[in-house]
Amino acid sequence: MASDPILPAREPGAAGSPGEDAGLLQELLEGWRNLTGLGAFTLITLATARLRFRENSRVVTPRIFGEIHRCGVRLLPLVGFLGVVLGLVFVGQTASLMEQIGAGNFTGTLMVTVFLREMVPMTAALVVLARVGTAAVIDLGTARALGEVEALEALGIDPIHYLVVPRVAGFAISVVSLSLYLLVVGLASGYAFAYARGLKASPIEFLTQVAGALHGLDFPLSALKTGIFGTLIGLVICYQGLARPLSLADVGAATTRTVAVCGVGCLLIDAAFIAVYLLL
Amino acid sequence: MRETDSAVVLETRGLEVATPAGVGGLRLGPVDWRVSSGELWVVAGPHGAGKTALLETLAGLIPAASGSVRVFGHPVQGSGDDETTLREARRRMGLVFDGNGRLLSALSVGENILLPWCYHRNAGPAEALTELEPLIRHLQLGSLLARNPASLGRSWSRRVALARCLALGPGLLLLDNPLAGLDAVHLRWWRGFLAEARAGHPILGGRPLAIVATTDAARPYLGMDPRFALADGGRWRILPGIDSVLSATGEDGTRNSG
Repeated sequence: MASDPILPAREPGAAGSPGEDAGLLQELLEGWRNLTGLGAFTLITLATARLRFRENSRVVTPRIFGEIHRCGVRLLPLVGFLGVVLGLVFVGQTASLMEQIGAGNFTGTLMVTVFLREMVPMTAALVVLARVGTAAVIDLGTARALGEVEALEALGIDPIHYLVVPRVAGFAISVVSLSLYLLVVGLASGYAFAYARGLKASPIEFLTQVAGALHGLDFPLSALKTGIFGTLIGLVICYQGLARPLSLADVGAATTRTVAVCGVGCLLIDAAFIAVYLLL
Repeated sequence: MRETDSAVVLETRGLEVATPAGVGGLRLGPVDWRVSSGELWVVAGPHGAGKTALLETLAGLIPAASGSVRVFGHPVQGSGDDETTLREARRRMGLVFDGNGRLLSALSVGENILLPWCYHRNAGPAEALTELEPLIRHLQLGSLLARNPASLGRSWSRRVALARCLALGPGLLLLDNPLAGLDAVHLRWWRGFLAEARAGHPILGGRPLAIVATTDAARPYLGMDPRFALADGGRWRILPGIDSVLSATGEDGTRNSG
């Protein structure tokens, strides 16, 4: 194969060359700067939300409802479909199999540990990120690149208050609500599938099994976890789209970064919650 | 005489504007300047001289390299400026950006115009529309309210951006290249608007506005009796009259381009 006439040929064994070490160091520094920047942005957003909670409510509150409609209501069909699929794939098969091997008593524990605590929150968060989050970064990044944020500032409108707070609130509320919806649809469709395959338990018995495996803190902790997922996604989207000067050419890269940061962030938060669940 | 007779709206002292090319050390200034109500100032200069950066510095959007800016007595740059004073100053001035005026693409034309009024008065759109209907009619924008900003031509976008600024009843208007690229009809309308805004129109609360407009070419302002300043090569100069501006911008044919 002919070598590239412009780029120099890569020497064998050059993976750990000083140039690449410097590049790695630069990437680590950039990552650290992003992390501290996101931290500062989070504090500013929380302070704005708290201090200006009641200000300009007739403009900001409809925007929160608009975000809930965009991130939550419009995703109901998709999340419902995923709920049915997850119900068939996981809930139904598991319940059916557990009954076949005579371990039906453990069905509830499995449902709570795997489905309610892990699959539902993560699925809801990733659906919102993929379906709405990426589009939101492109919207915000384009607005930033076209100078619309400066236009808001020039009008005396606080961009954090007008653009960021409603988005973060909308994402948090939507992920919590969609998780609950996904849980109900998943359990219902899973039970229907298992019943069709010969599960003997009635719906009440099935729900009693699941309820019996629940810990008192399961619902508050799940709501907290999904709320944190939604808040994190909203904050990262706004940070990547708005908080830094962008040109139109940077918008694609900002979108990719958002998906990566949100994915890793949600996994880390999930890991922290697993540690909490182990203590229960 | 005008400066002493009327209220000073904008005052800069030792202002050094960091232009986008200022990364290399180029700055515009020092700018020592006073703008009073009823005055129309035209800031001329070639492309890249820092005129847009000057307006954005006056609006507090980019930090000044040094010096101070006060708008209606509120510090915008320099000592004493903070979030509260800046917000108060911005409510009393309007900035119309170059090009399409940077309308918010996620909102309709009507929502763009009503937004600042709704936000600052904590009001709904219906209330705002009732209040701003005379302004919208005066600016001939009534038929465009439902349109998407992206579907408008540059001339109309700029007029919508003007309406958005006027919604809050500002006392100071900063216009970035407002007459550039307009057809004859829009140019005539803008010249008429600048004259009536400067004199004080009932739609604008009846009080004379202070207006600062930047331009690459001074000729469209002929016959409007403005005051002129020149930004060129990092230097700021107040010029005595239109002839010196035409000479400085090369519009009289004496200056070689490039």
